[in-house]
Amino acid sequence: MGFLDVLRGKRQLKKPVPTDRLFAMSTAQVTMELEMGLGSAGKAGIVFQPLATADFEGIVRDMEEVVRSAGSDTGTTIEVTDDDFGYRWMVLVDPDFEDLVVGLNAVSTALEAGGYGDRILAAVFAFRDEAGKPVYWIYNYKRGAFYPFVPAGGEQRRDNERELRLKAQIGAELPIEADLERWFPLWGIPI
Amino acid sequence: MTVTMFLLGLLYVGLVVALLGSGVNGATVAIIAGGLAAVNLFASDKLALSAMGARTVTPEQAPQLHAMIERLCVQADLPKPKIAIAQTSMPNAFALGRSPKSATVCATTGLMDLLSPAELEGVLAHELTHVQNRDVLVMTLAGFFATIAAYIVQFGFFFGGGMGGGDDDDNPSFLVLFLVSLAVYVISFFLMQALSRYREFSADRGAALITGRPSALASALVKISGGMQQIPQKDLRASGELAAFYFFPPGAGKKLGSVFSTHPTMEKRIAALQRLESQLQGTA
Repeated sequence: MGFLDVLRGKRQLKKPVPTDRLFAMSTAQVTMELEMGLGSAGKAGIVFQPLATADFEGIVRDMEEVVRSAGSDTGTTIEVTDDDFGYRWMVLVDPDFEDLVVGLNAVSTALEAGGYGDRILAAVFAFRDEAGKPVYWIYNYKRGAFYPFVPAGGEQRRDNERELRLKAQIGAELPIEADLERWFPLWGIPI
Repeated sequence: MTVTMFLLGLLYVGLVVALLGSGVNGATVAIIAGGLAAVNLFASDKLALSAMGARTVTPEQAPQLHAMIERLCVQADLPKPKIAIAQTSMPNAFALGRSPKSATVCATTGLMDLLSPAELEGVLAHELTHVQNRDVLVMTLAGFFATIAAYIVQFGFFFGGGMGGGDDDDNPSFLVLFLVSLAVYVISFFLMQALSRYREFSADRGAALITGRPSALASALVKISGGMQQIPQKDLRASGELAAFYFFPPGAGKKLGSVFSTHPTMEKRIAALQRLESQLQGTA
């Protein structure tokens, strides 16, 4: 944030980092599967703030249509839910992990093309460890980085030890959020 | 709050003048002024929190509030501030701290009871925008510079006008010195208030950008201002010193002249939010 912006008290909402770092997940997933004992849960989601405007709703409708029609080839199905915080989840279900990444990218690209890229909160990839417990990798679009999120059961508790271990295990294969303070949890992930 | 601030400022100027008049050298005065500003900048958040009876809460104690702010932080690309809750029925919220890293956002229990989740989100986004815009720092520095400006003017007169008079306190140049510093102070006081109002508009706009829901914030304003009118006078005074950083200052929209207030009137804020909403809807 520039000095002048501070003085004027004006600042635009940060736009997503314009890279295709999301695709790093495709290769990292192989490592997770083979070396870390993390299997894909066959689900991935993107969460964004729905704006109550005709323009935005039109874009979301078109986007759903595109993903659904692409899904008839790839077998990807799509579920849309609104959570308690008023954010909308588009959950893609597909046993083929590559299709999930491509599908999420299609959703975010459509939102960005419509000028609503800054409304995207995050993308979430769901995994299950050997004990069947959920492990999530969250992609923060605005920072272009991933971080792990492991709910520990019980109300709003997370397994920080496990998360730090996951970070070390995945190494350089994923762009990891360096600032631990930015490893924001997402409670009640519907996948 | 306004009267308090005004009087405090007068006292401050009076102190500096008295110090100068009593022959203390300029460097000492500068150090005292700087020290007070530093205390204000570095310790005011803790003082203000305890003055409000607020305490910071962990994610376990207030899971919903934490989760809501975390999401807003992702949207605004901000580090997560400390979160505090004040146990009072007065619906309000404020942000403290000189930088985003050291910030605290405080909401009252009255606010959380009164507002719907979307409205609460709007108010919290407003406070986060204050954090993002570093309003506490800017206002503190603006206040500090106003003091220094007054001091410099005094200093000029001390050497310019007071040359022939020596250390004599009855010298007429001392009266001139006092009047000038007073004038500078009064003008800077109004400028500070105007600056604060401007930054409130900025924070409203920033909040609407973060949440994408200007109307939710507007409806929160309507609800809060309704609640504000029922507050007894005692509470207003007790919370006076914090009003510059309040979401909605106690007593605003009453009889105070608009130049005297740190916040724009509610009508103006709502009108600005409605313009944003119509821009968003593509109808403006």
